[in-house]
Amino acid sequence: MNASSDSEVKSVVRQFILEEFLYGEDPAALEDSTNLRAAGILDSIATVRVVAFLEERFGVEFEAHEMGAERLSSVSDLVALVMAKRGAH
Amino acid sequence: MRDDVASFARDELTPGAEARDRDSAFSSDLWRRCGTIQLQGLVIPTEYGGRGLDPVSAAIALEGLGFGCEDGGLAFALCAHMLACCVPVWKHGSEEMKRAWLPGLCDGSLIAANAMTEPSSGSDALSLETKAVRTAAGFRLSGHKTFVSNAPVAHVIIAYAAMPGSDDAPAEVTAFLIPRETPGVRIGDRMEKMSLRTCQMSDVRFEDAELPADSIIGQPGGGAQIFAESMDWERSLLGALHVGAMERILDRAVAFARARRAGGESIGRLQAVSHRIADMKIRLEAARLLTREAARSLNSRRSSGLPAAISKVFASEALVKSATDAVRTMGGAGILVGSGVERTLRDAVAATLYSGTNDIQRNIIARWLGL
Repeated sequence: MNASSDSEVKSVVRQFILEEFLYGEDPAALEDSTNLRAAGILDSIATVRVVAFLEERFGVEFEAHEMGAERLSSVSDLVALVMAKRGAH
Repeated sequence: MRDDVASFARDELTPGAEARDRDSAFSSDLWRRCGTIQLQGLVIPTEYGGRGLDPVSAAIALEGLGFGCEDGGLAFALCAHMLACCVPVWKHGSEEMKRAWLPGLCDGSLIAANAMTEPSSGSDALSLETKAVRTAAGFRLSGHKTFVSNAPVAHVIIAYAAMPGSDDAPAEVTAFLIPRETPGVRIGDRMEKMSLRTCQMSDVRFEDAELPADSIIGQPGGGAQIFAESMDWERSLLGALHVGAMERILDRAVAFARARRAGGESIGRLQAVSHRIADMKIRLEAARLLTREAARSLNSRRSSGLPAAISKVFASEALVKSATDAVRTMGGAGILVGSGVERTLRDAVAATLYSGTNDIQRNIIARWLGL
């Protein structure tokens, strides 16, 4: 796994979540392991928006069962899923 | 195509609508007749027995259905069957499931019901309590669904349940296809409604219903997205029915306003009446554009949620307003059974509630805007 790609993906994911769902908030509030659903950052609509962004930005596709809140629960989870899909191509 | 569907609806489906509405009667014969032109499978690919229409073409066909069919409950039942049941099977079912069920679901021989809402979870749809646990042979389902359209007459039920994940992972929503005759499936008594009276509705209970492994639609945990996608299809294409209905009642209002005379002139010459009818026309055309745009967005993978919510809110509320205006234009005649507009007004109220209430749609729109 290319470390720079991993950090690049993380940077993009964090920026999107901060700008779209945590505007005006302290960026430090978003840790890699923050549970995005439990923290009220992502709901079902926000999850679709995140998935749509990731699919367009990174050229990957999420299946229906991969979009459950439990599978996309943190920045780390999102990064790991994107990297796994990119590595599969 | 639109005119063909409208003619079929006017000639085959409208006769007897008043009596069926009065008696809350569903006509299996009419359902089968709809299957002869594959109304139940407009968007399903031809290889599975459908008409294979793209979403915009399907919207145009449904405008024709809404225009010609004055049995609003039957028209809704057809769409709920197609959009909330056939589409999930088409999009996410296994090839075996698709070939086993879609032909019958498209040709009028089978009726499907979508079971999501529960007594304690309506707008908060994903907080469901119906549970599915894995067994050696498949799954065991237990729970209680309510407000299930088509349930009393359905042959198959698409149901959503929370299934525990592995290794103590949280439960995830999963979709299942369940034949009605499955032991443990209990269909409740028909509910009496003010709206869409010919569309049968009841509770459905699952009492340790044993399901085979191949009853799952898609993958474990895919149910939330499968349901959300089906709701985008419902919100987008049911609006086309409303557009057709608005066109029909506009014609009625114009005809009445031209013929009815007061003070020596047609009431249509009075601005209070003509402006009301002009507003009906404005709403009709705006709803048509929004609905077709929402239908077009169904071709995209992830961009249909916002236009679907927008068109659903506008088309349903426009239908209520226009049906009210039609009744007001016709005065006392407008509230008579058989007027051609009072039933449309009663049916329109449900449009602001099903597929997610309009309050929820406004929440969805706000979330898409980043609020």
